[in-house]
Amino acid sequence: MLHYYDPKQASVPQHLLPERDYGTPARLSETLVTLEIDGTEISVPEGTSVLRAAALADINIPKLCASDNLEAFGSCRLCAVQIEGKRGLPASCTTPVENGMKVTTQNARLAKLRRNVMELYISDHPLDCLTCPANGDCELQDMAGAVGLREVRYGFDGENHLAAETDDSNPYFSFDPSKCIVCSRCVRACNEVQGTFALTIEGRGFESKVAAGQSEAFMDSECVSCGACVQACPTSTLMEKSVIEQGQPEHSVVTTCSYCGVGCSFKAEMQGDRVVRMVPYKGGDANHGHSCVKGRFAFGYATHPDRLKTPMIRESIDQPWREVGWEEAIAFAAERLKAIQARYGRESIGGITSSRCTNEETYLVQKLVRAAFGNNNTDTCARVCHSPTGFGLKATLGESAGTQTFDSVMKADAIVVIGANPTDAHPVFASQMRRRLRQGAELIVIDPRRIDLLKTPHHRGAQHLALRPGTNVAMVNALAHVVISEGLEDREFIAGRCDESGYLAWREFILDERHSPEHVEAVTGVPAEQVRRAARTYARAPNGAIYYGLGVTEHSQGSSMVMGIANLALATGNIGREGVGVNPLRGQNNVQGSCDMGSFPHELPGYQHVGDPAVRERFEAAWGVPIDDEPGLRIPNMFDAAVAGDFKALYVQGEDIAQSDPNTQHVEQALRSLECLIVQDIFLNETAKYAHVLLPGSSFLEKNGTFTNAERRINRVRKVMPPLAGKEDWEVTVDLANALGYPMHYDHPAEIMDEIASLTPSFAGVSFARLDELGSIQWPCNEAHPEGTPTMHIEDFPIGRGQFAITDYVESAELSNRRFPLLLTTGRILSQYNVGAQTRRTGNQAWHDEDVLELHPADAELRGVRDGDWVGITSRAGQTVLRARISDRMPPGVVYTTFHHPGSGANVITTDSSDWATNCPEYKVTAVQVEKVSQPSAWQRQFQNFDRLQLELLRGVKDEAGKQPSAERANE
Amino acid sequence: MSRSQLDSLIHMANQIAANNVHYGDAAAERVSTHLKKFWARSMKRQIVDYLREDGSKLSPVARQAVERLAQEQVARAG
Repeated sequence: MLHYYDPKQASVPQHLLPERDYGTPARLSETLVTLEIDGTEISVPEGTSVLRAAALADINIPKLCASDNLEAFGSCRLCAVQIEGKRGLPASCTTPVENGMKVTTQNARLAKLRRNVMELYISDHPLDCLTCPANGDCELQDMAGAVGLREVRYGFDGENHLAAETDDSNPYFSFDPSKCIVCSRCVRACNEVQGTFALTIEGRGFESKVAAGQSEAFMDSECVSCGACVQACPTSTLMEKSVIEQGQPEHSVVTTCSYCGVGCSFKAEMQGDRVVRMVPYKGGDANHGHSCVKGRFAFGYATHPDRLKTPMIRESIDQPWREVGWEEAIAFAAERLKAIQARYGRESIGGITSSRCTNEETYLVQKLVRAAFGNNNTDTCARVCHSPTGFGLKATLGESAGTQTFDSVMKADAIVVIGANPTDAHPVFASQMRRRLRQGAELIVIDPRRIDLLKTPHHRGAQHLALRPGTNVAMVNALAHVVISEGLEDREFIAGRCDESGYLAWREFILDERHSPEHVEAVTGVPAEQVRRAARTYARAPNGAIYYGLGVTEHSQGSSMVMGIANLALATGNIGREGVGVNPLRGQNNVQGSCDMGSFPHELPGYQHVGDPAVRERFEAAWGVPIDDEPGLRIPNMFDAAVAGDFKALYVQGEDIAQSDPNTQHVEQALRSLECLIVQDIFLNETAKYAHVLLPGSSFLEKNGTFTNAERRINRVRKVMPPLAGKEDWEVTVDLANALGYPMHYDHPAEIMDEIASLTPSFAGVSFARLDELGSIQWPCNEAHPEGTPTMHIEDFPIGRGQFAITDYVESAELSNRRFPLLLTTGRILSQYNVGAQTRRTGNQAWHDEDVLELHPADAELRGVRDGDWVGITSRAGQTVLRARISDRMPPGVVYTTFHHPGSGANVITTDSSDWATNCPEYKVTAVQVEKVSQPSAWQRQFQNFDRLQLELLRGVKDEAGKQPSAERANE
Repeated sequence: MSRSQLDSLIHMANQIAANNVHYGDAAAERVSTHLKKFWARSMKRQIVDYLREDGSKLSPVARQAVERLAQEQVARAG
């Protein structure tokens, strides 16, 4: 049947156009209101503004201060309309629709008013449009054109703001107040979208101006450089420096950010194959047009001069690198791998997949290991972050993934954040969470540190359970004890959805008095009454949602804690609908994806165990080789085996184990023990300094593929420029497989995804064509859920019934004592990302150019340490030296640092202690001593020497002394 | 502080046992299932060899679990 467009009967479009600004935010009411705009009848949800209703009918009312990501403000008066039966000319942005309303958007009276408004604006605006950086992308210019402004009768000689000084303090954008029209969009974006409230309008009337903080430079204010204000600005007042330098982009490509697990969609705005700017994409289902300082601005690393562009090989790590062609490098690597297997056995080699590379690339690396290496020695950096999530959630809920969408938080009434720091590590989701908190949701934070979320503006009454590091399981058991002993459990849910015998056993376990808040108070250090109150808040809320991060998983009982969290959600029925759930906040962009793709040594793609003959049979049929039925080595097991001499070669794609993994000296020893280390990376990272083969990688801008974010959302990564070294990462793995004699052939990553879909039940319905069509897909996506599964476990669990797990508290071996009286916990900050290889090569260095040790004033005083002093931090594993920062964010007895800079050696101190079930390292608890020192530690001096040597070898520069190779010095 | 490979394995086995000990009679079974599902062939072989040679550093539950693993290996080999 043909549909003809009838302008008299406009209806609300089903799919909004992400590129279009509808003027004011959507209203979700199911009650529809019908009105007439310029003779066109339209029905819209109650509460919608006249401006938005008009836009939905494709009637464009001029506007300046309105934007559909901000609540209406009504300051510019440009969107005035005439409404039959109403006096005056109301602003359409602040006027809600009414049934039977008759609106006129264009007539002589309105035209005159709009021209007068524009004339006033322009009378205090520099007329340098031709040389203005916003030329071609300026709403003020567009509106002057739209209203037909032809003259400014007031002249430009009067009092004005044209000489206002530009603030260039931010590395990425400038603030030129001479161009400002005081529409407040930037201020409102900072408040409503980002939630930082760093900007304000200072002064009244003609004196009104936008100010950061207490009228400070942007860099000195609370501004977190998320870019929301820059995006909101209708003029060139807030403008990317890259646009000022390069001009307006000429085309754009929608792709996915390569930083954290939020997985924001961005438009890469381009001039040819050069990125001019990254603009958050409004159509992105994870971020809805918001961004943070990393994804929005810190992309310059992709074209940094340090990028590796040529394959390199060397016989041993004290030799200079030799630049070779791809073919020679691949042949060299393959020959070595084969020779090592021939000499030391099939199990003597392995590979590490990357949680930063695409699903397709990760899939190929584990396939290479299982099919071409012939063993299951594959692992990924999820080992050191979220492996307990996979284990714990699979055991209790039946699937190794979070249960919700990010948007689900907008329906949560009580939000529990455990061991996570969303404002720093998942900033775009934190902004959404803060929006919900401002709407009145309750917040419970369980963390030793007073994280910034607790300081959310316009939110009061947050509960902070500042527990001792390492006592999570005691805490979660105490919370569950309160739920059960006070009868707050959801009996209907338990009876209907959970395994009965498991529940009864758990119930008996948890009711034991040893789990009562009063009893564990001495362990956790948190007053019992606070624990009871928190448990009641969570259990009584109509919707209680738990969000957690590495402060849960990176413990000796990480897996127990994940199961403890699942117990709590099951017991209170907070699973299977919007607003609730168990939500792991994933660290890196594709941690979820790398786990899904079979990176773990015991699981084929889709979490299918290698010991299952039926599973193996399907993969063997597709891959044409037998698959080992025993699990392979995990990363720490590989290190142990390397030191013992049984493990001799490793292929590492896009992971820096030498910097990110615990007990650096042990890792270094393991890497030095390898006869062949093949590193594929975009930079000479710390691991690459121990390598024999360097294969240059491609950044996310240089390849096609997919990333899967923390909400199981598969997003497309699209190539916007050719790979700097000539190959996308998946092509390199294909070459290596072929050189090893295992044939692989793909023409495009889409074909790899098709293979994944054919072998992985939860991905059965996924293809690049479907992704392009739907934008993104949350797995499982199969016949039953052809468009994916936003909320999991609605009807039942993949294992049938929910399983309660008995989670007894077992004290960490990392106890503080007289020798090591403090507990160190590590984490990250907003401006830097993981090992910092990317962000350290961007302007983000302006915020954090060194890792510091935060310690409580009481602990500092006891040791005579003042702010800025050098302090030595010593653990059972090693020693390093950092600058001290006095801070009361941690309780006394707890110190904190980040690991973004390799020379800091944060992981020289962290130990071999790890999660009992998965070997995920216990980064969050290390017993240490801190003392004032005057020089770097022995490890740091050795690091500096080795680093210098390796950079020399990279440049092919031999040591000037010639006879005394610096390798000797490095080994001192 | 680097442990030898065997020390690591003994420590890991004891840690798994400590986290399952509250399952009582079923504990050893759970621990041995865990080892079977998650440990590499070489790791299992080393812990079984250790049990046969010495085994003194294994906790009671860990020991029972490794014994089960050893029996299964014998059964499979036979």
